[in-house]
Amino acid sequence: MIAFQFPDLFFGGLWLTIQISVLGLAGALVIGTAVALLRVSPTALLRWVGGAYVEFFRNTPLVVQLFFLFLGLPLIGIRFSTDTFENNFRAAFIGMGLYHAAYVAEVVRGGLLGVERGQIEAARSLGLSYPQMLRFVQLPQTFRSVVPPLGNIAIALVKNTALASTIGVAELLSAAEIVESRTFRAEESYLAATFLFLVLTLPLGFVVNTLERRMVIAR
Amino acid sequence: MDLRGFAIEHGLRPDTWPLFANPNVWGFFFEGLRETVAIAAVAAVLSFAVALVFALGRLSRRWWLRWPSVFYIETIRALPVLLLIVYFGIKGTALFRPIFGPDFDLPRFWAGVLGLTMYTSAVLAEIIRAGVLSLPRGQTEASRALGLSQLQAMRHVILPQALRLMVPAMMAQLTTVIKDTSLVGTIGVFELLRQGRTIYTQFFNPIEVLTIVALIYFVICFALSQASRRFELGRAPRAVRVAIRDIELRDQAA
Repeated sequence: MIAFQFPDLFFGGLWLTIQISVLGLAGALVIGTAVALLRVSPTALLRWVGGAYVEFFRNTPLVVQLFFLFLGLPLIGIRFSTDTFENNFRAAFIGMGLYHAAYVAEVVRGGLLGVERGQIEAARSLGLSYPQMLRFVQLPQTFRSVVPPLGNIAIALVKNTALASTIGVAELLSAAEIVESRTFRAEESYLAATFLFLVLTLPLGFVVNTLERRMVIAR
Repeated sequence: MDLRGFAIEHGLRPDTWPLFANPNVWGFFFEGLRETVAIAAVAAVLSFAVALVFALGRLSRRWWLRWPSVFYIETIRALPVLLLIVYFGIKGTALFRPIFGPDFDLPRFWAGVLGLTMYTSAVLAEIIRAGVLSLPRGQTEASRALGLSQLQAMRHVILPQALRLMVPAMMAQLTTVIKDTSLVGTIGVFELLRQGRTIYTQFFNPIEVLTIVALIYFVICFALSQASRRFELGRAPRAVRVAIRDIELRDQAA
């Protein structure tokens, strides 16, 4: 298999894909939860800000956002690193995080709204402050119901890391492109990349599907 | 305070905005937009046709129809759409030469459509299947008892209802198709983003151009997603809504 003839490119690419996915997902979870909290906040302005974030990031293509981070920001003096390679890599996972946070926010918001209103009122009337109520009542109950949909977002994120190839990150798809341009063995190169992507996404899909089935039974 | 100096220092170069007063620049964007809409429309229509075939194949009781459909749907849904697009961009011509003769050259437009269609059809097939499965079994059984064949029951009873139920989900998928057209620029189709790139490589103003491009995409996709919410019939059972949401999260976030 061609992947073993160019291990640096293919397995290096696989490793970069995994890194971008993990860092991007972590960012998406943190930002997404914060945006979800904005969206259910009692203050109208904060709700609007949260909503604007979600609508903007969901309704523009990820590549445009990535290009903005990678080409636009350096022009206004924002660089993620002085090293070009490192800068592109950081732009990629930051872009992944920002984009998928919008989807995470919608899922977490759904989970938060799924908690009965009465519980929130009861907690508040027992003297818990709003942050305490979130921390001890609303968020813990949200956690369970959001795991399968968040798993689906994780799968989407792994697939979307392929877009990092457009901003000069040598992940899996770029590996295939580079090897193809050197050897002209397109079938093999792309099959290798396909196979390696499947190795990442199919088991993840299997886990998510199993979790989903469990949750349905538990309900 | 020297506002102009401040703006330049922070990259808001005021001298690059007057460029957009030139109608030719907008004409350039418009050409790209036309290409974007054309690709999205062709890909959406083709995807729907292909999706119907694979959705019915996966629902079929014959294993030689079911297994290939499951394989197609599950494999393609697990791949990045960009990989498919880039592959057809490079190999599309060679793939079709045995069919159309040695002089055949696959236009880049169609290579892009092919990649997009392949991906979108797998997703739409899952949406259609979820719609069909949401209908009570009694519908098929009643149609069969009334003397309709399996195929007739599907054609005249099940599909019309399932498709109507899935209109919002399919419209939501259309916004994804439009966003995904921004990827065919990588294989040299001059769609909206690619036209924008041509402008900013000329004038070194990626911030301005990308903002405009993002806003154009936003207006189209936001309008479509609002419209799809309008069509929400609210009749779909809970299990189906969950299924659709999961398909959308896994595949729409492209």
